Amino acid sequence: MIAKVICYALNGLEGVPVEVETDVNKGLPAYEMVGLPDAAVKESKERVRSALKNSGFAFPLHKITVNLAPADLKKEGAGFDLAVAVSLLKASEQLVGTELGDTVFLGELSLNGDLRPVSGLLPILISAQKHGFTRFVIPRGNAKEARFLRGAKIYPAATLAQVVGHITGAAPLEEQQSADFFSLVTRRQSAVDLSFVKGQPMARRALEIAVSGGHNLLMVGPPGTGKTMLARCIPTIMPDLTFDEALEITKIHSVAGVLNEEGIVLERPFRTPHHTATTVSMCGGGNRAVHPGEISLAHGGVLFLDELPEYKRSTLEALRQPLEDGVITITRSAGVVTYPARFMLCASMNPCPCGNYGSDHLTCTCTPAEIRRYRAKVSGPLLDRIDLQVEVDSVGYDELTSEEEQEDSRTVKERVDTARRIQRNRFEGREISVNAEMGERELREFCPLSRECDDILRASFERMKLSARARSRIIKVARTIADLDASEEILPRHVFEAVSYRTYDKME
Amino acid sequence: MQYTAEERAMIWLDSLPQIEYRGKIALLRAAKDPAVLLGEWEKFSSAVIKDGKGRVYNIDRASRERQADELVRSLDEKGYFAISLVSEDYPESLKAIPDPPLVLYGAGRRELLKRRRFCIVGSRMTPPWAEKQARTVSEKIASRFVVVTGLAEGGDRAAIDGALDGGDLISVLPCGLDHCYPRSHASLKEKIASRGLLLSEYPPDAPSAKYYFPARNRLLAGLSEGVLVVSAREKRSGALITAGYAAEYGRDVFAFPYNIGIAQGAGCNELIKKGAYLTTGAEDILSAYGMEAPEEQRVSLTQEERLVAETLREHGELHAAKLAQLCRMSLPEAMATLASLEIKNIVVKSGGNRYSAL
Repeated sequence: MIAKVICYALNGLEGVPVEVETDVNKGLPAYEMVGLPDAAVKESKERVRSALKNSGFAFPLHKITVNLAPADLKKEGAGFDLAVAVSLLKASEQLVGTELGDTVFLGELSLNGDLRPVSGLLPILISAQKHGFTRFVIPRGNAKEARFLRGAKIYPAATLAQVVGHITGAAPLEEQQSADFFSLVTRRQSAVDLSFVKGQPMARRALEIAVSGGHNLLMVGPPGTGKTMLARCIPTIMPDLTFDEALEITKIHSVAGVLNEEGIVLERPFRTPHHTATTVSMCGGGNRAVHPGEISLAHGGVLFLDELPEYKRSTLEALRQPLEDGVITITRSAGVVTYPARFMLCASMNPCPCGNYGSDHLTCTCTPAEIRRYRAKVSGPLLDRIDLQVEVDSVGYDELTSEEEQEDSRTVKERVDTARRIQRNRFEGREISVNAEMGERELREFCPLSRECDDILRASFERMKLSARARSRIIKVARTIADLDASEEILPRHVFEAVSYRTYDKME
Repeated sequence: MQYTAEERAMIWLDSLPQIEYRGKIALLRAAKDPAVLLGEWEKFSSAVIKDGKGRVYNIDRASRERQADELVRSLDEKGYFAISLVSEDYPESLKAIPDPPLVLYGAGRRELLKRRRFCIVGSRMTPPWAEKQARTVSEKIASRFVVVTGLAEGGDRAAIDGALDGGDLISVLPCGLDHCYPRSHASLKEKIASRGLLLSEYPPDAPSAKYYFPARNRLLAGLSEGVLVVSAREKRSGALITAGYAAEYGRDVFAFPYNIGIAQGAGCNELIKKGAYLTTGAEDILSAYGMEAPEEQRVSLTQEERLVAETLREHGELHAAKLAQLCRMSLPEAMATLASLEIKNIVVKSGGNRYSAL
């Protein structure tokens, strides 16, 4: 007899339905699995065999053929175990007279018949729902991740026996209650806050502008001055996650298998890959499955690159295209996968190899050639995509221990939210949502420059030797500064301030 | 280029690597006329140079003539010129030093050697404000003098930047004209050759060597009426060597003053202690030579800009946040004003978010 059970495979963030067909026939006992399974899928034979026996079922001593259709799609991971077990039970007539209908079965089996959680469940559920499936049996370990899906009947199960009980109707599983996303969000409190950062008025201002307009930021400063601390505060002043954003980020994190306990991402991601990171770990890839990289895991949040010049040049160059497009398309022999990668890049570096350039109490011992070599490690094109470059001050002991109350993240966030609201209204009905994403067309439409402002820009180019490419970046930053200032027009003072954040271009 | 018989002989003599400077001078003294030396080499060479090195060049006269022709031809091909001690326009001030080069190789405007010259030097690690100040001084000095400097980064570069537009600039290299040190300044070197003048005492194909630098510094001092040191460490500073030569040759020494404890300027303060002119602007230099500074262009400032500029002058270097506080402005306002003043070349940013007025 032949049995069919629906399961799902993942291709990037897209779920693809897979039919598990099992045929139990007379013949010499054998167990064949076809349909491009990878090693983990093939090994499911042994897991299914033990799980069936240990759950009180018989493993048929016949010729068994399992086909995973469509046959040309590569199947990976252990998520097919449950579907294979159920179809085997049905094909061997141990589940007589039951109708599976269009229930989707997902889960990995352990040898004693327990169900283990699988990665990438949320994107599968979302895709499956789009394809018209509404009933799902999933491992209990994935229950939290599934509870934000609306309009689907989801049955978490702990063991294979429970699943069988559910199918036969002997002991139906309880349906998963959907949870409210926002009730979870409000009770979160961040471990860092801008009020913990002492001094640094310039960097604070730059941070505020960067987050308001979605600009990328480079902090240059001596070692140990709080660059990392400042960067960690960025998520605390970013606008709250919307449910759709959270879902999208959760999908990526789910596929990568790094999802938190809650089953949904509640805070904007803050990723800090070490400078030894490879291009593949940064951008995504891998020899079997195409996994999302750090830039995709930072989607909707911050990618913080500490000690920027220490990263491999090729790795940094690979960031250029996703910085522009907000997505990364990875091509491998196994297939082509596109992951979202719209993140805010925040980088930090020392001003020179010894780190003391510009310090008020230490002397820099680097020669101009050394400084130039050090800075040249960060390529011009990448630097060009970083709109704000700010120097971080070395903090004196008095400042460090001062009791003076510093502005906290909440106050700054309110200003950021206002500026973001202005931008949302401005870009109503367009693909973009923040100033940094403006193209030539939007620049012309929303950033007309008065004669005076244009003169300022012209003068800056001549005096400060700014690159021609820096022009539109400066205008975008000026637009954000004007938004923070609640000014309809870009005024000279906005342009001046924007110019002052191109320090790096001026330091030859 | 046309060379006299004497000049041609000097170029040939200068090209002999085995004979030291002193040997060449002795030969010239003995022969009285370089052309005679070239013609009757055998007569002088073994008599004057006792260690036998002179004999190395005991080749027949025709070969010597051929060598000389070849040298001149190669100079012409590369577009260089050579001025020798016997040339009419060899700088008098250089003749006055104890060891003037036999031949100076040049590329660019030869006529600059007839003008009055002033030297500006500084270390490679010149603080940004001093660089900017040096540039301004160089620009103003260039209206009265030809600016003489090296080709290094930092102080030299600032002097070059100030004078390059007008082209009244001589850059003396520590290597032959074919080479460039530092290499990264290759395009700058080309610009100087086309607008000003490049000089070297080494044959064009000579690469630079460590001991060429102090030797080059004697030329900087020797060519100039005075030397301005814009930055110098207390030890192992090339700029101090140049100033030392200048004092030895009886030229004037000027120096920028520095705060106590700033390593890049300790050498300058040391010079001032020993009697160098304390220099805060081009006026100090020009007035030492009885000249007046060129009229300055007035820049119009807004009220905020004037306030910020005056506060900076009063306090010296200030952090932007501190400045904003002193001027009772918000930080963004102060930043905008500072950027505007920077564009107008009135303030300069010196790293670590600190600014100072010029």
